[in-house]
Amino acid sequence: MPMPGVTRSRAAAVVALMLVAVALGACQAVDSFYPPAAVTRQGVATRDLYDIVFALAAIVFVVVEALIVYTVVRYRRRPTDIELPPQIHGNNLVEVVWTVIPTIIVGILFVLSWQVLNTVDARSAEPQQAYVRATAARFQWTFQYLDKDGKVLFESLAPELTVPAGENVHLTLQSKDVTHSFYVPQFLFKRDVIPGRENWFDFTIDPQDAGQTFRGQCAQLCGTYHASMIFSVKAVTPAEYDAFIAKGTADAQSTPAPSSATSPGASAGGPPASGVSGGPPIVVTAQNIVFTTQSIEAPANAPFTIQFENQDAGIPHNVVIHGGTSITDPPLFDGEIFSGADSRLYPIPALPAGTYLFSCKVHPNMTGTLTVK
Amino acid sequence: MSASNPSLSQGSIVHAEPVPHARGGISNPILGMLLFITSEIMFFAGLFAAYFNVRANAPVWPPDEFVGKVHILPFVGPATVLLIVSSFTCQVGVRAIRRGDRTAMNRAIGVTLALGITFLVMQFIDYLSLYADGIRLDSGTFGSTYYTLTGFHGAHVLAGVIMLSVVLYRGSAGQFSERHHDAVEATSLYWHFVDVVWIALFSTLYLLPGH
Amino acid sequence: MATTALRPAVPVIRTGLYEWLTTTDHKKIGMMYVVNSFIFFFLGGLLALGVRSELAMPGIQFFKEAEYNQLFTMHASLMLFLFVIPMLAGFGNYVVPLQIGAPDMAFPRINALSFWMLPLGGVLMLSGFLTGSGAAANGWTSYSPLAQAKYSGIGTDLWVLAVLLIGTSSILGAINFLVTIFKMRAPGMTMFRLPIVTWTVLVTSVLVLLATPVLASALIMLFIDRNYGGHFFDPAVGGNAVLWQNIFWFYSHPAVYIMILPAMGIISEVLPVFSRKPLFGYKAFVFATAAIGALGFSVWAHHMFTTGAVYLPFFSLMTFLIAVPTGVKMFNWIATMWRGQLTFSTPMIFALGFLAEFLIGGINGAFSASVPVDFALHDTYWIVAHIHYVLFGGSVFGVFAGIYYWFPKMTGRMLNETLGKVHFVLMFVGTNLTFFPMHQLGLAGMPRRIADYSSTAGWTDLNLVATIGAFTIAFSMLPFLWNVFVSLRSGEIAGDDPWEANTLEWATTSPPPPYNFDHLPDIRSERPVFDLRHGLTGGHRLAPPPAPPTTPPSPTPSEPAPNVLVEA
Repeated sequence: MPMPGVTRSRAAAVVALMLVAVALGACQAVDSFYPPAAVTRQGVATRDLYDIVFALAAIVFVVVEALIVYTVVRYRRRPTDIELPPQIHGNNLVEVVWTVIPTIIVGILFVLSWQVLNTVDARSAEPQQAYVRATAARFQWTFQYLDKDGKVLFESLAPELTVPAGENVHLTLQSKDVTHSFYVPQFLFKRDVIPGRENWFDFTIDPQDAGQTFRGQCAQLCGTYHASMIFSVKAVTPAEYDAFIAKGTADAQSTPAPSSATSPGASAGGPPASGVSGGPPIVVTAQNIVFTTQSIEAPANAPFTIQFENQDAGIPHNVVIHGGTSITDPPLFDGEIFSGADSRLYPIPALPAGTYLFSCKVHPNMTGTLTVK
Repeated sequence: MSASNPSLSQGSIVHAEPVPHARGGISNPILGMLLFITSEIMFFAGLFAAYFNVRANAPVWPPDEFVGKVHILPFVGPATVLLIVSSFTCQVGVRAIRRGDRTAMNRAIGVTLALGITFLVMQFIDYLSLYADGIRLDSGTFGSTYYTLTGFHGAHVLAGVIMLSVVLYRGSAGQFSERHHDAVEATSLYWHFVDVVWIALFSTLYLLPGH
Repeated sequence: MATTALRPAVPVIRTGLYEWLTTTDHKKIGMMYVVNSFIFFFLGGLLALGVRSELAMPGIQFFKEAEYNQLFTMHASLMLFLFVIPMLAGFGNYVVPLQIGAPDMAFPRINALSFWMLPLGGVLMLSGFLTGSGAAANGWTSYSPLAQAKYSGIGTDLWVLAVLLIGTSSILGAINFLVTIFKMRAPGMTMFRLPIVTWTVLVTSVLVLLATPVLASALIMLFIDRNYGGHFFDPAVGGNAVLWQNIFWFYSHPAVYIMILPAMGIISEVLPVFSRKPLFGYKAFVFATAAIGALGFSVWAHHMFTTGAVYLPFFSLMTFLIAVPTGVKMFNWIATMWRGQLTFSTPMIFALGFLAEFLIGGINGAFSASVPVDFALHDTYWIVAHIHYVLFGGSVFGVFAGIYYWFPKMTGRMLNETLGKVHFVLMFVGTNLTFFPMHQLGLAGMPRRIADYSSTAGWTDLNLVATIGAFTIAFSMLPFLWNVFVSLRSGEIAGDDPWEANTLEWATTSPPPPYNFDHLPDIRSERPVFDLRHGLTGGHRLAPPPAPPTTPPSPTPSEPAPNVLVEA
């Protein structure tokens, strides 16, 4: 079982070479064992804590792994080993020592973590703050900018959050459907966005990062297109932020809400005869994750066509016609899901007279009514 | 390999007769039943945890539309008394068979079985009246928790009734004696457990004041 | 080498199909557990290859998003519920009665029932793929409201029913193990002479008994929500989304220990045998196992730090503390080898692989105990790396150590050592290639459970490496399967005790006869077969309380050895 001497020295040389290679690679790779540079005050605290945890972990890893390797090499059985080795059943002293030392290490880590937690997860008392509410819905982030009393100044449907660098931002999180998670890697932070519960967290972006954009992503599985639920955080100077808020507020006051602004043309449905196979299709439009066409009519017992206009760039929708008025009723028709802006023609089979719910499979909150008569 | 020492390996040899009933202590089926009851307690703990969580989260409890609709009388209260009494009659049966008195055991188990079935019937009638009153499984968190908790308890009573029937059948066939009656003991343990769960449920659902 | 004069049993493999379908013999049931678990292991592995293929490059190549979500959900569900847990239960089934000198499990027919629920549950779960809306796709955690009927199809119902069935099987199995261990021990086999595998099965069974019914209650409530208008977990109708997470993790964190403790037991069996030394600190090891089991019930909310709905310092402290008994075990294992005489048969190298990998899985878990660091790492690939270092680097290496160790006992034939070592090297390299880069991916911000990522995110190279690693692991199964195939027919005959082992299963023939033993050696320590081979003076410290009988050998059954059946 023991190796002949020659093989052993060659093996040692190979191991030495590998160690050199690993060491060289490690210099370049070492950065990949750290999270990205933190851009928030809270993130910097987390990063400092990470550095300590990582250093301790690395020491423990190297020491224990070295112990394992040393033991395996040193105590391999040799041909002269005929008698049993000493049958040591234990040693109370060393067992106490190696129970106490890890306890102390984790005790220290716990205290450090708790202290950092009090920085990272705290409500700021600064007088000057920005107030924003992020709303998550499958599979889209929208942001509402609030005044300090919580009144909505305006809403941005683009998945981009603009915040002032150097000022505390109080971000509240709410979900319209399932659980999501607001995650910005460069904040070293995420917080779940849970329906029925309003979460929040505070962060302050370093003033010198003004002008930068950070990518964020939903981190909690929320359904089929979870991976595409991406947003960005744009840091601007406080002056630019004030201008942004002023402009957004003014725009919101000058134009009515988007849904009422865009819907009139599309919401009428069609004349009763339209949509019959061969006739003009019934138009259904989706925009800003709602069906702007809320109700449509179709003739009974004749196939017809729906022309579905998905006007949401990059967001997938479709039309599902249910066998009743509840979303849990089995689908009678389930159209192809596609991302906007685009349109599709859906051939609908003949339906008996009645009222049917139609919905978007991707966004069950998007519904409308189909009346067949 | 060379280290094995034949002179020692002769050692003392114990004949490994299977030990189905270890000397002294609790018998295998009864220990098994106790462990099974432990797992059942954890199952109900999960349901109770959900109930108290939902209840604590609700602004008012019971919700306004259900106030005064869940009654102790005429069914639930008497059914509770019957179930508690049945635990005692069950224990009477166990004591009888420990003495070796098969007739007394069969009689007591028969009474227990009848009480159990009566409980189920009364619960069913109560369900019908609640249902007519508009309290259903999908009537908000109140309906969901009420029917889930009482329904799963009812299912356990039903399981207990089936076990009692088997015990009664086997008892009538004379299969139990002073020494061999693990099935009776195990069934009575289960029946007591079902009873205790009901007392906890009754206290929670009917006696605990709302907010 | 033979320590008993028994003839080997009729080769069990050759008996008829009917015998296997109706058997209540714990050995046959144990082997069926193992084979069944391997089938689901390979199916789950294929799904994992699908996941890794899709992630090898940015863009959607092989699977649409909806299919991808089914892949990783079913991968995790098969691996956890139908591979790791039943596989370890299978070892327990085979080994525990032998190790405690019992003829069978306490309830052989319930044992068969527990087994047969598993393939049924597996088929039920997989049948989701045949439905129009596909299999469950909510992740194995099945978070509500995503798992509600309006967001997911009938595959989720099948998943719920399958997990309920498998859970019932687990609970019945746990009751069986506990009664067997408490009541069926041979004379002389006191609690503190139980082999460590048996101890870990005992603690695992307690965890199953207390945790799995809670999962069952959650699953039933989810099923009621989905199908009968219940209002438990959907906030849209008054329920509570966090409630599901609390109940689910109250089960699923102890479940992690259910999945690792028996593997630790296997390692603690293999290391002493191949070091020719006793396990260092037997009692400390038992207490550490019990401590992990107890603490395991107080750490569930560390999966929920980012919900903002749990009391962070308490769960952080408990999570840190649970690292201590785990660390104690690591040191016990190293001290067991220290000053030993190590030989490197395949079971031993897999055990060493376990030590090297599980160490990483323990250390990277401590990162998540630190709440602020967890805020950064939670739900990223870091967590995927962590769970796989624990469950693949840990449990799966432990499983293979167990397979190579007990295969001779189960079949009477040795596995080929060369093929075993090829298998190990490929699997060890593949494991680290697959899972180590996931640490870096997580740090770089890649969330778990995403079907696609941007080519500008900087995750492409590491993902490709992980995919290559996954295929390496898959490839490493070929020498293993070939090894089993060949060795079953023409492997070297094992004999009773090929490894010079310690515990009672090696005191009978390979494979053992029905009801296991014609006679048992004296049990005066946790290593009765070692004592038989070397005598109590073979460097072995005498156990203090029971003085060795001075009367001539062969006490009759009516004169039980001292300390018979000591109840706790």
